[in-house]
Order: sequence, then structure tokens, then C-alpha cells
Amino acid sequence: MTINLNGIGIDYGAILPELIVTGTAIIVLFLDLLVPARRRGWLAVVSIIGLLGAMVATIPLWGQNRAAFGDTVVADSLAAFFNVLLIVISILTVLISPRFLRALDLDYGEYYVLLLGATAGMMLLAAATSLMTIFLGIELLSISLYVLSGFARTAVRSQESAMKYLLLGGFATGFLLYGMALIYGATGSTTLRGIAAVTTALGAGASSNVLLLLGIGFLSVGLAFKASAAPFHMWTPDVYEGAPTLVTTFMSVATKSAAFAAIGRVFIATFPSIASRWYFPLALIAIFSLFIGNLVAITQDNLKRMLAYSGIAHAGYILLGILPGTAEGFSATLFYIVAYAVMNFGAFAVVTVLGAGGERTAELNYWRGLFYRRPFLATVMTIFMLSLAGIPPTVGFFAKLFVFRALVDAQIWAPLIVAVIMTIVSFYYYLRVVVVMLAAPDEAAVEREPIGISTGTVLGAAAAATIILGIFPAVVLNWATHAASLHF
Amino acid sequence: MSWYALPTNVPWLTLAVVIPLSGALLVALTPTVARRVIKQLGVLASAITLLLVLGIIGGFQHGAGNLLQFEEARPWVPAIGISYHLGVDGLSLFLLGLNALLFLIAVLVTNSDTPRLKQFMLLLLILEAATAGILLSLDLILFYVFWEAMLVPLYFLIGVWGEGPRVYAAFKFLIYTVIGSFAMLIAILAVVAITFAQTGQPSFDWTVLVQHPASGVWQLPLNLGTIGIPQLLFLGFALAFAIKMPLFPLHTWLPAAYTAAPLPVVIVLAGLVSKLGAYGFLRFNLSLFPDAAHSLGPALAVLATAGILYGAFMALVQTDLKRLVAYASMSHLGFIGLGIFAGNLLGIEGALVQMVNHGVIIAALFLIVAMIERRTGTRDRAQLRGLGATAPLFAALFLVISLAALGLPGLNGFTGEFLIMLGAWTAFVPMAVGAGIGVILAAWYVLRFYQGSFQEAPPQPAGYGEMRIADAGVLAPLLALMIVVGVSPAFFPAAVEATVKAMPVLLR
Repeated sequence: MTINLNGIGIDYGAILPELIVTGTAIIVLFLDLLVPARRRGWLAVVSIIGLLGAMVATIPLWGQNRAAFGDTVVADSLAAFFNVLLIVISILTVLISPRFLRALDLDYGEYYVLLLGATAGMMLLAAATSLMTIFLGIELLSISLYVLSGFARTAVRSQESAMKYLLLGGFATGFLLYGMALIYGATGSTTLRGIAAVTTALGAGASSNVLLLLGIGFLSVGLAFKASAAPFHMWTPDVYEGAPTLVTTFMSVATKSAAFAAIGRVFIATFPSIASRWYFPLALIAIFSLFIGNLVAITQDNLKRMLAYSGIAHAGYILLGILPGTAEGFSATLFYIVAYAVMNFGAFAVVTVLGAGGERTAELNYWRGLFYRRPFLATVMTIFMLSLAGIPPTVGFFAKLFVFRALVDAQIWAPLIVAVIMTIVSFYYYLRVVVVMLAAPDEAAVEREPIGISTGTVLGAAAAATIILGIFPAVVLNWATHAASLHF
Repeated sequence: MSWYALPTNVPWLTLAVVIPLSGALLVALTPTVARRVIKQLGVLASAITLLLVLGIIGGFQHGAGNLLQFEEARPWVPAIGISYHLGVDGLSLFLLGLNALLFLIAVLVTNSDTPRLKQFMLLLLILEAATAGILLSLDLILFYVFWEAMLVPLYFLIGVWGEGPRVYAAFKFLIYTVIGSFAMLIAILAVVAITFAQTGQPSFDWTVLVQHPASGVWQLPLNLGTIGIPQLLFLGFALAFAIKMPLFPLHTWLPAAYTAAPLPVVIVLAGLVSKLGAYGFLRFNLSLFPDAAHSLGPALAVLATAGILYGAFMALVQTDLKRLVAYASMSHLGFIGLGIFAGNLLGIEGALVQMVNHGVIIAALFLIVAMIERRTGTRDRAQLRGLGATAPLFAALFLVISLAALGLPGLNGFTGEFLIMLGAWTAFVPMAVGAGIGVILAAWYVLRFYQGSFQEAPPQPAGYGEMRIADAGVLAPLLALMIVVGVSPAFFPAAVEATVKAMPVLLR
């Protein structure tokens, strides 16, 4: 790894995308005071402009390796990769927001502020190369999401989910901080580069350094909590179900992506020398996630809860790509994250659209005969379900293929076999949704309402991306390979 | 030789996949209520595909030049060696024709009153594109993509439009198939990883992998001994294909799925999809792992023979005619398996010939069963009697089909079975004897089916009248094939011989 020491100092260019998003959040906060209530749609427009600006500011960072601010953040292709992904997710969320915020009577400007804040935190997390900035990023995104989960102020479920998320999240943060403290105690450094140097210098001693290993263990607990990997997943179904579906849509994909950026930087880049030590616990977390996510998802009759468990399962698949500790594996992980973001965002967005119809719309029964009531929604949902199951020609297939290939090449058999068996299990609950939608329509429920141009465009774009990336995965794979290669 | 030369700058094989897909797209854009338009679009798309495929068969150069023809190769995911590589040779040429023919028939017999006709037609056309892709793919990932893409339409076609316990049948079919698919996927990844270690160049291309057969042994965990890597990979592929075929004892999804599937779907399922399993054995197992094919061939031949006898005995005791034909199909698939696992020229040629013949015959039999059910309202053998008295044409057509099914010389079923028996006899005598018993049993259940339902005096009140002209028209191309192939038995074997002779399994 070449270190560009010129950039170690203050370098606002390296964090320009994060600065723009944060600045936009502050602008929106003040604009909210000036804009009359029925014009709040303009806040969405301003947010999107800010996010697009951040996207433009990200492009020059691609291919660079600019460490900045005392080596606490880095502007490299990996950070740029996640910046683009997170910004796109954020833009899509904002695009579908105004309509459903109004429908749910939640049209407050703070929503956009918190969304932008969470996005900034996630982007910072993806660029963080020091324990301090990792913590900063996680806190920024977590606190924003705590509030967003409880954004439906009058709904008890929403309040419950926010409280649950806050309490358990605070607990996980405790683990995270404690782990960081132990790692600092063992290595005397807070930057990942410094920690890596000390760990390598310790040689064989590092793998028996209890302080360091405990620290890594606690740190993984905190990160696995954010990625909602089992057995640290308990909050996920309740929070996903209780939070406004718009918020769930955003956080189910964005939080997981950002958490895996940090997991990649910590495990693959910082501790390759003691890979034999973290391999087993990480493999165990992956296997747990695959088992619990897929098996419990079978029993769920509520789409939001089913997708929550499916998200836990996908955390397992994504984690599998980390296990080999190779560039090939990490690029598979990155590709999987993109695939997951596209298809899971789409699936939750469909739930959001249906959710505007009133209570209980997330119950599977409500979806019976959807193909004949709302053919567009049912068609795009089918595409997302097939992709989540990993059936070609969708992006979900190649995501699984690349991960499995990395495992075969690294000759990691046991987790691979678990993943394969659990994928077979997953076919059941994903395809069941499609069968229900294809089933004979219920006489009672005949409602038809336009979904709006922006929502329709977002759903169509997500579905199109799911298919197009499933037919032409090479471009994104090349980006992922490039972004992953910087660590090796 | 070929009858004519097609221009080389047209992607003919891609068209064979794209035309049904375009048909599906047009159907998707048609309003749900325009049922006639939807059906006509389906017929049009599958008829054009059939014409195209007949054109390809005519332009194929038999016995000379390249074995693989009409090849199209383009990088797809170059970073890990996946390519878009299509080609056709003696193994796939006539199956491609069978594919196009059976789908046209399936679309023609699709009832315009089918509930949710639009979705039905859409899935049927997507299925046709997927099965064509399976036969044409020369890249293992591309093959796998089509293989999986075939599963989804079939699952919905059985699970949503089926009869009886359709959800159970569809789900059982899904689980079996997916287990096989994933075993194959892992084997694909492993075989490519092994070749990568040899060549330093990642490639999922069949033509590359054929030249680098895997070797070595794998140490089993817990000191359970060793297993040859080719054998292990062979089994990975074999599981997928044996389930699809199906090979005894992996057949238990078959009766449920065949019985539940609506007529157009069961034609495709029995006539074509089962052949794709057999085709997979020839294209991948016997070509990529010739040594393993020799060492594991006898064991699989035993299973194939068991399937012949099991299917035949089960067919004997069925009272539901659809189930009877389903088990008969399984028994005949055993013959095809036996020819493949014999691993010699005669056996493989016979299997290839029989694959096409069986597709024609079994489709005709399922059509007959459906026609009987439509006119009498029952498929119960015990309740049917004397249908032939008022419908002589129906009886005559059915008789020809029955005779073809039991392998009468002069009709198409004979050639393939005879070649398979010769091949099996040179490879392993006991299995050939078992297969011979299967032939006798076939005569028993087929003739009993015909005599029981069509002969004797009709019950009171009698008379359902003659069959409809449209029904005869649907059967006509199948009957024509039975007779033409029957009277010129050398045509198919000669056409596939060059490809079969070059198969690695025969060169060792």
C-alpha cells in the first residue's frame, strides 16, 4: 500500500461529499422554518440537489488514495463506491417520500434533515480509517435512525420500535466502544493503519494477545449489530415492522451497506495477519445469520417481518464474501451489497406504496391476487422476489454466484454448504409471495389508486436495474473489483 | 452435407431464444381481455420459432466440418471468464427441433378459456426461450442461467394453473429441482477452479473445459477414505440431471407434477424437460468427466434399469390414465438413461434418437388422454369402454401412437430402443435383459390402455362421435414424424454420428 503522506493534514476535498450532505441537512433545517407547510415538497427538491452535488464531488475521488485529517479518513475508491451507493439510495428514498409522508400525515421537514444526517454518517463510516471516525459515523447514523424509527409520533408501534432500537443500539454501542478501548490498549493506536502496523509487528504474538482479540470481538459485536447479523439481530424484525415503511426502506439497505464497509476495512485491511483468529467467529456469525434469517422468514405472514428476516439472511451471504480475506471475496461482497441495495430497496418500496392504503397491508393475505388488482406493483415485486431468491436473470443470481465462487476458490466448504441449503429454503418464502399474488383475486378488495410519477419511476428503475445488472453484471463487478483491490 | 447454406452473419441461435421472448413481451403488452389476440400471438411466436429452427436444421452440415456450428461467442463477464457462447451440434440439433415443435403444440392446445390466459401464455413463451437456451449454451454459467430460468415458469404453471394438489406438486418439483441445481452450480464452480489452476485462465467455456479433464483425489474428512475428484464433480452434475430426467429413485416428484400439470405444461414437461436431463448427461457428464462416466456408468445403468421396470410395473397398476402415461414416460426415460450410461457409440446414438422419439410419442399420448377426458369427463380406465365404436379415426390414430410407444418396427419408437438394447448388451448383459422385460411390459400396459378404452361394445348411452378435426390436426405432425422416422430409421443415427464419435467418453 502506498501512503500519500501529503494528505495526512487537513484536506477538505477528501471529505467534500460528506460536507455537502451535512451542509444540505443544515440548510434544509433552516428552510423548514421559512417554507409554508403545504410547500414542504420543496425540501425534498433541495435535499436531492444537495445529494446530487455530493455525488458530483465524489467522482474525482475515484481511483485516489487520499488519507486526511491525521489519517482518520481516506478518500479512496472504496469510499467513493459506497458514497455513490448511499447517495443513490438516499435520493431514491427522498423521491418516494413526499407522497407517503403526506399520506401518513408525517410531512415534517425534520424527516429530510434526519435522512441526510444518517446518510452523512454512513458516508463517513465508509471513509473512516480510525476507530474515532468509525464511532463518529456510527453514532451519527444511529441517532438519526433512532429518531426516524419513531417518526410516526402517534403510532404506538413506531414508538415501541424507536425505543427498542435506541436501547439495544445503545447497548451495542457500548460493546463497540469497549472493543475500541481494548484495541487501543493493545496497540497504542487509534488509526487502522497504525493498528495494522502494530499487529503485523507483533507477528505470531498478535494471535495470542487476549486484549487485542477481546477488543476485536467486542468491535465485531457492535458492527454485526448494525449489519443486523445473527445473533445480534433481535431488534431487526420489530424495528423494521414498527418504523414507518419509508424509514425501513432506507435503513434496511443503507445501514447494512455502511456497516459492511466498516467490516471490510477492519477485518480485511487491518487484521489480515491474524485472519486465522477472526475467521471462525465471523464464519459462525454468517452461518447463524443464514440459518436464523432463512428459517424464521418461512413462518412470517407479515411482509415487513419476512423482509427483515430475509435481510438478516442476506447479511450472512454478504459476510461470506469477507471470509476468504481475498480481494476476490471482498469484491463479491461489494457486488452483493449493490445487488441487495437495489432489490431490497425495491421490495420495501412496494410495501411502502401498498402501505398508503391503510393498516394491515403488510399482511400476506392482503397481497392475494395483486397481479389483477395492481399489475405494475405485482410485476416489479415479482422481479425483486426472484432476485432476492437468486434466480437468474436477476442481479441477485450473480451476487450469490460471485460469493459462492470466492468460497469455492478459497476452498471454504462448510459455510458454502450451509449457504446453499439455506438458499434452497429461501426459495420457499420468496416464491410464496409471487404465488399469493398470482392466486385468484379476493372479491372484497378492489382498490386502485395512482402511485404517482416519481414513485412509479423509482420502482421501475429499481426493477430495471435488478434485471439489467442481472444480464450485464460486468461493469459493476469491475467497479467492485477496483474498489476492493485498494486494500491488498 | 447440408441442404443449403444459411448466411453466417445472422445470429440464428440467438434468434431462437429471442423470438419466444419477444412473443412474451408482446403478450405482456396486450390487454388481458383480448384473449384471442393473446393466443394468436403465442401461436405466431412459436410457429416462427419452429420455422427458424427447421431452417437451422436444414442448414446444419451433417458429418463434415465443425461439429459445433452456428457458433456465437462474446465475452459476458470477462473478469471471471464467463462468456455468451452458443452453438449447436449433433447432441442438441434435433432436440432443438423437438423443443420448437412441442411448444407450438402446447400453445395450440392451450384453451382460450384458461383463466388468466395472459400470464399463462407469458410464462409458456418464457419457458420456451429458457429451454432453447439450455440446448444452445456452451458456457456453463449461461447454461445454468437458462436451467434456473426454466424452473420458475414451470413452478408457477403447475402451482397456479394445475389441477388437484397443485401447490404441493409444484413445491415438491421446485425443491427437488433446486437441490439438483445447486449441486450442479457448486460442481461448475469447482471444475472451473480446477481448470483455472491448470491453465491460469478462468473460463466457463465448455469447449475449453472439455480439453482439460479434471483429475486427482479428494481426501474425505474424518478419515473416511478418498474419492476421485472427477467422480465427485460427475455426481454434482448428475444429481441435477438425474432429478430432471428423472432417474430412479429420484423420481418421486414426477407423478404428482405430471398429474397436476395442465395439458400444455405436461406436454412440455414430459416431452421436453425430461430430455434436457438426459441431454445434460451427454453434454456435461460424459464430455467433461469421461473417466468418471466409465467408472460410475454401471451403477447408474442399474438405476436406469430399475427405473424401466419400476415405471412399467407402476404403469400397469394405474387406473388414472394420466398417471399411467406419466409412469410409462418414466419407464421410457430409463431406456434413454441405459443407452447413455452404456457409454458406447450404439447406446448413445440410440439414446439421442430415442430422446426425440420419446418426446413425440409421449406428447401424443398425453394429448390422447386429454382428448379422452374432454369427451368423457373421466380419466379412470375402469369407466372407459368402446370409445372406438363411434370414432374410427380417433381409434386409428391412437392405435398408431400405441404401436409406436411399444416399439413396433416400422414406427419411430423401434429404432432408438433397438440401438439402446444393442449398446446395453455390449456393455452389461443383465441390464439389457431387464430392459427387454421392460419392452414386454410396455406392450402390456399400452395395449391394455388401447383395448380397454377403445374396443368392446360401447356402454349405454353410447356415442361421443368422431374426434374434432382440430384435434387430429394437432396430432398430425407427431404421427407424421412417427411414420417418417420409422420407415427411414437410419436418418437420425447418421446425422448425429459424427458428434457422438467425437465425444470424449468414446475416446477412452
